[in-house]
Amino acid sequence: MANEKELALLKEFAPQIEHTNLIQAVWMFFLAAVVGLGFYALYVQIAEGHEVTGMRDNVVWGIYIVNFIFFMGVSYAGALISGTLHLFRAEWRKPINRIAEYITIIALLIGPCYILLCIGRLDRLQYLVLYGRIQSPITWDVIAISTDLFGCFIFLYLAVLRDIAAIRDFQAIRIPKWKRKLYTWLALGYTGTTEQRERLHRATDVMAAMVIAIAVIVYSVLAWIFSVTLQPGWHSTIFGPYFVIAAVFSGCGVMIVVMWLFRKLYHLEKYITRKHFVNVGVLMLILAALFGYFTFSDYLTKWYGSERNDELLISLLFDEYYWLFILSNYVGVLLPMVVVGIKRLRTINNITISAVIVVLALWVNRYLIVVPTLESPYLPIQDSRPEWLFYSSTWVEWALTAAGIAFFALAFTIASKFIPIINVSEMADSSTLEDEEILT
Amino acid sequence: MKEESDNNHKKSSRRNFLKKSLVAGAGVVATGGLVEAYLDTRAAETGDKVKVLTTDGKIVEVDKAHIKYPRVSREESREGIPGKKFVMVIDLARCKNARACVEKCQEGHYLPKSQEFMKVYLLQDNDYTAPYWFPKPCYHCDNPLCVSVCPVGATYKRSDGIVLIDTDRCIGCKFCITGCPYSTRVFAWRHYEEYDEDTQPYSPEASSPGVEGTVSKCDFCPDLIRVGKLPYCVSSCPMGVIYFGDLDEDVVTNGTETYQFSKLIRDRAGFRYLEVLGTRPSVYYLPPVERQFPVDRGFDGLDEEVKKRYESTPYAKKQRR
Amino acid sequence: MKKFLFANLLWLISTLLLISPSLSAQEETEAEEVEPVDTYISFIATYTSNDTVVLTANLYIRNGRVRVDLENAPISFTVSEGTEQIEAGETFTDSTGIAQVMIATSSLLRNEEGMVTYMADFAGTDKYLSTSEMFVSKPAKLEVSFYEEDSVKYIRVKGYQFTSNGEAEPISDETILMFVPSLFRPMPIGDVWLEEDGSGSMEFPMTLIGDSLGDITVIARIDEHDSFGYVKGESNCEWAVPKHLLSQDKPTRELWTPVAPLWMMITLLILLAGVWGHYVYAVVELVKIKRSAKKENIQEKDWSNYS
Repeated sequence: MANEKELALLKEFAPQIEHTNLIQAVWMFFLAAVVGLGFYALYVQIAEGHEVTGMRDNVVWGIYIVNFIFFMGVSYAGALISGTLHLFRAEWRKPINRIAEYITIIALLIGPCYILLCIGRLDRLQYLVLYGRIQSPITWDVIAISTDLFGCFIFLYLAVLRDIAAIRDFQAIRIPKWKRKLYTWLALGYTGTTEQRERLHRATDVMAAMVIAIAVIVYSVLAWIFSVTLQPGWHSTIFGPYFVIAAVFSGCGVMIVVMWLFRKLYHLEKYITRKHFVNVGVLMLILAALFGYFTFSDYLTKWYGSERNDELLISLLFDEYYWLFILSNYVGVLLPMVVVGIKRLRTINNITISAVIVVLALWVNRYLIVVPTLESPYLPIQDSRPEWLFYSSTWVEWALTAAGIAFFALAFTIASKFIPIINVSEMADSSTLEDEEILT
Repeated sequence: MKEESDNNHKKSSRRNFLKKSLVAGAGVVATGGLVEAYLDTRAAETGDKVKVLTTDGKIVEVDKAHIKYPRVSREESREGIPGKKFVMVIDLARCKNARACVEKCQEGHYLPKSQEFMKVYLLQDNDYTAPYWFPKPCYHCDNPLCVSVCPVGATYKRSDGIVLIDTDRCIGCKFCITGCPYSTRVFAWRHYEEYDEDTQPYSPEASSPGVEGTVSKCDFCPDLIRVGKLPYCVSSCPMGVIYFGDLDEDVVTNGTETYQFSKLIRDRAGFRYLEVLGTRPSVYYLPPVERQFPVDRGFDGLDEEVKKRYESTPYAKKQRR
Repeated sequence: MKKFLFANLLWLISTLLLISPSLSAQEETEAEEVEPVDTYISFIATYTSNDTVVLTANLYIRNGRVRVDLENAPISFTVSEGTEQIEAGETFTDSTGIAQVMIATSSLLRNEEGMVTYMADFAGTDKYLSTSEMFVSKPAKLEVSFYEEDSVKYIRVKGYQFTSNGEAEPISDETILMFVPSLFRPMPIGDVWLEEDGSGSMEFPMTLIGDSLGDITVIARIDEHDSFGYVKGESNCEWAVPKHLLSQDKPTRELWTPVAPLWMMITLLILLAGVWGHYVYAVVELVKIKRSAKKENIQEKDWSNYS
């Protein structure tokens, strides 16, 4: 059965699983209300047509697609981080890899909803399967995302199996009977025999590798949706790797923010320490450099070669979108480098603030990839209707965006009430709880 | 009848009795849209019933006289008219933005004013070259990116070269809109009342009636071609700007003038727009040389709304200064 | 009259704006109120090369400046030399308002100048007033033939006109328009000048495209002539460039065709097989974990081994 260490740790996390305090309840109610507002916006959009959005014939994809790219990116980042750290057996990952796995699954559930919001005829969604064409990148995406979803669920399940078994064996925990039954059923009778351990370990290794590979493929496919078209800002060979890097970068940011929130919410200061912030921060720094490099190469070649439409796009970016461009491609790149790069600035709060800005900058970066390109097509837009010339998102779109973020937080909170936010079993594997390698 | 009307070979001398006789020019005969609205002009029901397939798959019998142009089924519309390869030539030297093509097209396809299958741009390649009016239908490319990216095969290229959209299949993902480098496709952002005017069963060949939440575009009017008529934009143009024909036959016509396509393109240095993109359009342009109208004539008689569209063009800005 | 036009215009506008979607209901009520309408016919007679004359009448009404064709209306045709009349048949107008009959030139009545008078009559209905139209012309004929001289191919056109007693005389000093048929409109290929003997020729344009065997029809035409009206002669030759059907070159495995390129299918299958194979492996491991747990429970093994 579960070992001593596991039980000792579980005792500490039991309150989170056993009951919800008032602050948590208010927090969850607030999130649910925001999600509800999103549903109302969705109702308005379905009832009155897509005209209620800011999208029009030129900018046919707006912040829904931006959110889609963003959440998918966050998801892949979670997979890449937890997969890579698992394969490299990085000991310090143990307190935070559950967070990475949750990010992966929850973001992956939200992301595709946004592409559905862009679809004019949701009643015909089954056509994607019935009449699917292999040549369309959307078909690639449908296949890739469903494959990814399966893979991530298997990976997450493998990762939580030992913890579920531990909770099942933790007699002292006060949970309803149905919940205990559910744990028993989900634990698959895992008791930690040598054979079971080895099998679980092998399966986790295989899935960790798979999740990394899939994440790269899936995010490249997503990038190809844009880069296979002839649109001046999108038709770029660099887009696949660029999107993958941007995804992991944004995922690191989200990871740090989530770590900070749960550290405060569940008082995990003992487990999630400065070391984790610095380590993920260093990862973020490296990715910031790579992201900056990709961004620079993309825009440099566009600007230097200056085909007419590239030139138009760049002048639009440096005119209408000047401050957003500076925020996403200068501040977002340089700030984490400075904060994490200079030892004196490496505090938990500083790293978290820079992570918030990175997340924001990367959202804006996607916006700048999607919207200005559609606003500067080959044939100049000649229209008297302002909404046809420039995209401006409406309350419906913002409400649904907020709903997505709220759902992310809500699902995270609920998930943390089901299985501890810290991987108990892996922590217990370490020689001591205060293992230097893990916590300091 | 139409064959009798080649105005470019018309004789100047006539006798009085001939003056009254029929010269059926393309512009004279009332248009389909009107006939449809004017059902009471039938002297009698024909009594002939035809079976037509409605959008919801039912077969209904309709009096032949009620059908504007026969519409083929969705399955048939995927095949294309056998042994044809359609091509369009647009003479930029003649266009003066009269917008008859735009309006007649909207009428024929039951489009709201906010949707244009044919758009007229005011282009100027750079500050020193001359501005010109640029009518732009769908190019019905031979390497159509819009078709390539469609996830459900709702848009397809037929053997006759026409790229059509089956709006009963379309899921409205709008990928084709971003895939088209010529901003040709339009989206139905809501249900437009104009769609309800079309009482005939839906057919991809007519692009009509429109469907909310789906993509539509210029279709080269295959329903008209099937009965030997020219597309709305071709027959309605008062300047004869637009020629249409079969590439296999090597003949294009604007309704009054008929030319050998290869000779016309050779003699007038025809070109395709943005050839560099490799989409291989089926629409050719004749360069705006020896123009019949100064470009300013294109601003005459425009609605304020339409006039406003061109305000931000470099040419219009220069004029104002 | 004005009242009618106004009523109709109103109705037209309202229909266009779709105030009432039901066309047929409105049709009935409006039809009772309006007075009969003036109708018009445009009418021509065309002589063809196989000794017939085609009478074509287009029946229409005027709605402001717009012509609206009348469909399914009976039109009766007659031929006369001035006083005596013979019936030439009755047909109904089609959807474009056109009614046509074809009669043999041998049966025509001519006056002393050889002119024939053709009449098209619409008897009228409750809604539409009657109308008729006349067309006078002299029977004529154009013959098209082909010949080769010094390896150059020529089209020859011969023109005849018929006197009051039916004798053929050459048409001289006339320009004949030459066409080849095409999908929408006949394409002009040049013209031929008829000499004193009533014949003329032009070189055959070698770039013309015929059918798949190179067959092509060449048409010679006189349009709106002072005395002959409309005359048309046609004949076939096989000198044209055989038509190559581009539609048959349509590829089957392209990005835009219904079936995907082979490499794409193979790549996708390899990728999917690779990934899902590993998934299956992981799931099988999970199943084995569950199985081993059951086995352990049955055998009641030593618990101290577990960590």
